[in-house]
Amino acid sequence: MCRKLLLGIVLLVLPAAARADSEWVLEKSTLTYHVSHPLHSVDGVGHAAKGKGTCHARQCDFLIAVPVKSFDSGDSNRDLHTLQVTRGGEFSLVVVRTQLPEQAAASATIQADLEIQFAGQTAHYRQVSFQVKSQGKEIEISGTIPATVSDFKIDPPKLLSVSIKNEIPVRVEMTWRPQ
Amino acid sequence: MKGTPDYPALLDRRSHMSQVHQRLGSITTAPLLATIFTGPGAKGHHGMPGSPGGRELHAALGASTVALYFTSAYFAIRAPKISGTQTHGPIRVHKALAWIHGPGMILTPILGAIAYSQLSNGEKVHGVAKYHSYAAYATAGAYGAAIISVSFKF
Repeated sequence: MCRKLLLGIVLLVLPAAARADSEWVLEKSTLTYHVSHPLHSVDGVGHAAKGKGTCHARQCDFLIAVPVKSFDSGDSNRDLHTLQVTRGGEFSLVVVRTQLPEQAAASATIQADLEIQFAGQTAHYRQVSFQVKSQGKEIEISGTIPATVSDFKIDPPKLLSVSIKNEIPVRVEMTWRPQ
Repeated sequence: MKGTPDYPALLDRRSHMSQVHQRLGSITTAPLLATIFTGPGAKGHHGMPGSPGGRELHAALGASTVALYFTSAYFAIRAPKISGTQTHGPIRVHKALAWIHGPGMILTPILGAIAYSQLSNGEKVHGVAKYHSYAAYATAGAYGAAIISVSFKF
């Protein structure tokens, strides 16, 4: 009887203890990668990111995922080639993880350490600056991730035998709301 | 299809074939331009017929252009299609222009062969063969536009 009661308490208390203090959900997003080539520049835009933030003890863990094939560069042929060079058939998601203090929501600027999984590789970006704007309960975050092709061991695509530039900065615009 | 083991292989094959198409297509511009520049030497000017050597050179360059062109076209046509992909953007212009330069690459050498035969027989170029140069310019123009359509952003 005593053991059953103890088990009952444990089963009731553990989930409550594990429950997050607060949670955030990605409401909408625009992610834009920029590719430069001597003949022209291309912007690929994606709006299909999903994200969640879980806060414990004033520390929030954010996880954002976006399908590689959801980016549109304005040319279907180029998008398919992008999918191939980024090994999108095998690694279909770009996954971003970061950890921020809970009070970051109240700051005008945040510096985030990002871990990005893309094309079967993981790259880390330290102290990436993002601007934060509060809109009622929602928070708008914008900034640019200084990604490069070589960070993810991607064979740079070529047009007329000339490779694209190594830099592929990704502009991030996200709106988060508390859940 | 997406998520299956065949999907990455299909993307790889498609990209490889598209790259070969792009490379061969770029290479084709060299004999194409040379064929255009040697045209007057084959046809002759100021009422004088062109030299047999000029005609031979023009015909050989034209044949090389056509051979490279159709090899390049093979890689574009046979590249695997990815289901669920809707074609949009400059690639549509690139593909549409193939309906001009494709038939042009068939018609131009036929008209050229007729003109070659007429000139070799000491005749003036006449009949449909007169349109050889017009077909060639239209074909080369459409071909150049097809390359530009996917190389530059408008």
